[in-house]
Amino acid sequence: MKNLTVALSGINAVDNPGPGTGVARSLREAPEFGGKLVGLAYDAMEPGLYMDWLFDRRYIMPYPSSDAVVLIERLLHVQRNSGLDCVIPNLDVELPLYLSAQDALKQHGIHTFLPTRDQFRLRSKEFVGGIAKKIGIEVPETAVVTSEPQLREAAVRLGFPVMVKGPFYKAYKAYSLGEAVSHFHKLAAEWGYPIIVQKMVTGTELNLVGVGDGEGGDFGLVAIKKMWITELGKIWTGVTIKHEGMLQAARNFLSETKWRGAFELECMLGHDGLIYMIEINPRFPAWTYFATGVGINLPLNLVRAATGLDVPKAPDYEAGKLFVRYTYEIVTDSEPLQQLVAHGER
Amino acid sequence: MNRLNQLAVNQDGFAFDPMTGESFTLNPSAVEAVKQFSKGASCEEAAQHLTQVFDVGASDALRDVEDLVSRLKNFNLM
Repeated sequence: MKNLTVALSGINAVDNPGPGTGVARSLREAPEFGGKLVGLAYDAMEPGLYMDWLFDRRYIMPYPSSDAVVLIERLLHVQRNSGLDCVIPNLDVELPLYLSAQDALKQHGIHTFLPTRDQFRLRSKEFVGGIAKKIGIEVPETAVVTSEPQLREAAVRLGFPVMVKGPFYKAYKAYSLGEAVSHFHKLAAEWGYPIIVQKMVTGTELNLVGVGDGEGGDFGLVAIKKMWITELGKIWTGVTIKHEGMLQAARNFLSETKWRGAFELECMLGHDGLIYMIEINPRFPAWTYFATGVGINLPLNLVRAATGLDVPKAPDYEAGKLFVRYTYEIVTDSEPLQQLVAHGER
Repeated sequence: MNRLNQLAVNQDGFAFDPMTGESFTLNPSAVEAVKQFSKGASCEEAAQHLTQVFDVGASDALRDVEDLVSRLKNFNLM
């Protein structure tokens, strides 16, 4: 793996952090890797663009709302200039585009390890209830709405408080109809439709990160509990756990869907002792480095799988390991920003 | 008692549940009682043990043990 060049996105290490810098750090710290890392960003201000200890090269990308051809052209430009063997898209909104582009990229020697289009659709917020039932866990009562009258009806029927969620990102708690309507419009304006309204389940928030091998097995699974979260629900402090029900749900998810690639299960352990599925994310979470830190380097395993290398069996991990996020600052010249703005790369 | 057996308790009374990630602080008498429960002791037996380790009467010890049990049940640990 010494000569591989891997590009990855989601390097927006901000208050709602993308997974990219944690994925990059996992690869950078792996003695087996030793290759080059390329950071892909959508804005010249994304902090990962300035983390020179993580990335060898950095590129501004066309927005993921553009055509797959535009993405392919840009990645081929990256390949011509920096070399490129593997790309890891780390943002939900990018995945449909990368799914369209993956065959063409492979022809140029740029490998991915992504779920199929069917798998991607199955775990969307509209259909996650069906998967939850199949893998033996519960799902909070949910309504998928596309208009304000539908939202009003659903919120009243489910009873307050309810969670109001966008199709890709962000979820807000609403204690009243007024709040629910306000969140509905804000989410629709930012992320479009449908909007998901979900009955609140209280309990302990459990999360799990893994990489599916595409044949019903895994290249490693790590479960955690979020101990301290930000206002946006992002983990700030967490602890590894060994919840057999959660781990079994993940194994069932993999055998049921034959999931290929990174994923995150977000669940709630209700006060009734049942596990409720909140969300399935089709990518690494922003806390992926936690798994690396406890000995399970999932990004490294994904790169191995993507490039056709053998993936060793993931080791076990200990429960009770702590994850503490912190803030940090970089002070630099304005030259990197100038280069990124003027040339779209550095 | 299975869940209680999984609880990792250190000498300072810090208890960690590896299944849920919850952590608790136990006072010295609760640490002793939890150790007794892990060995399969009843409330009465745990209380009897506390009277031998601490300067406490049998009825007070039993009341404390029963209070601890109700808290442990609240956390689904018993």
